[in-house]
Amino acid sequence: MLLCYAHIMATAAAKIAPSLLMLAAGGGGHEAEVAEHGGGHEGPPHLPNLVGLITGGHGWAYEWVNIIFAFAIALFFIIIATRVCAKRQMIPGPFQNAIEMLVEGMYNFLYSILGKEAKRYTPYLGTLFFYILLMNFMGIIPFGHSPSTSINITASLAICTFLYAQYTGVRRLGIVGYFDHLAGQPRSAVMWVLVPIMLPMHIIGELAKPLSLALRLFGNITGEDVLVAAFVGLGVAALAFTGSPVGLPFNVPFILLGLLLSTIQALVFTLLSTIYILMMLPHAEEHH
Amino acid sequence: MDYQSMLSLALPFGVAFAAIGSGYGLGRAVGSAMEAIGRQPEAAGKIQTAMIIGAALIEALTIYALVVFFILQGKIG
Repeated sequence: MLLCYAHIMATAAAKIAPSLLMLAAGGGGHEAEVAEHGGGHEGPPHLPNLVGLITGGHGWAYEWVNIIFAFAIALFFIIIATRVCAKRQMIPGPFQNAIEMLVEGMYNFLYSILGKEAKRYTPYLGTLFFYILLMNFMGIIPFGHSPSTSINITASLAICTFLYAQYTGVRRLGIVGYFDHLAGQPRSAVMWVLVPIMLPMHIIGELAKPLSLALRLFGNITGEDVLVAAFVGLGVAALAFTGSPVGLPFNVPFILLGLLLSTIQALVFTLLSTIYILMMLPHAEEHH
Repeated sequence: MDYQSMLSLALPFGVAFAAIGSGYGLGRAVGSAMEAIGRQPEAAGKIQTAMIIGAALIEALTIYALVVFFILQGKIG
């Protein structure tokens, strides 16, 4: 049940991404998409990926490489979720057991922050975590490419979280309660005087949250992938005088760093989304 | 000095200064969290969660500098 809902959310996130591709200015444009084998003058170094190798670095399929990888990951989650949901048993097999372990781990983690509300928000936040985690890991897998190195993908995920948090606010606080929350809950005369200052401040604060979420994920994963690619280039350059097709493995320590960073960034994105949703819930202080 | 040499000087320095600042901030934040965990090991989970949130918010400032670097890098030519 939980996973069936989870895979719908995964596809929703992936479906919004293409429309945002057209909207974004700069960032993941064409100039950064030139296939470079760890060097060159146009944009940061890139490692070759599967789609780039098949298409030869041209054509619409190569322009949409981020979307293709994002959809592949979403498809992977859909297949797993439908397979688990189709053959649900009281006494789980090893496959169902592994998936249940992941879902339950996510639930327990969110329970420590959201309390009783965790059950309602685990599907979205859990999907977010595993989707981002796999997107980040795609850059480390050989011939893979991190969709999260495109600001369009991270922005679409951040906008999903933003809309979901606002929806949660309107739904749980009511329209009046929502604007009361944005105005800083004025209860005294002094607070009412401060409303013209507090309201724009809260609105700007709400709009800054998805921006910082998107830029953080994009910057971290792009930085990590460029770091690995730069050291691959260095390793190849170190053996260039022998004419060897392979280079020294200078990039291995940075791949390990990348594993750590990918996990932390997926966790941070999920954690901050959780906090933003928590701030919209009524009586957040009653848990303390 | 044309704008390209200025950019190629300023961009790495921008990232470096941002990294110095957030390195100092992260050091203080994580150091205090470690002290707190040492004093109260049973609250380690909660402290760790709060520490990761704080670390992410601090480190985002460096990442903004890095994003500016990526955006303006194409202009160096």
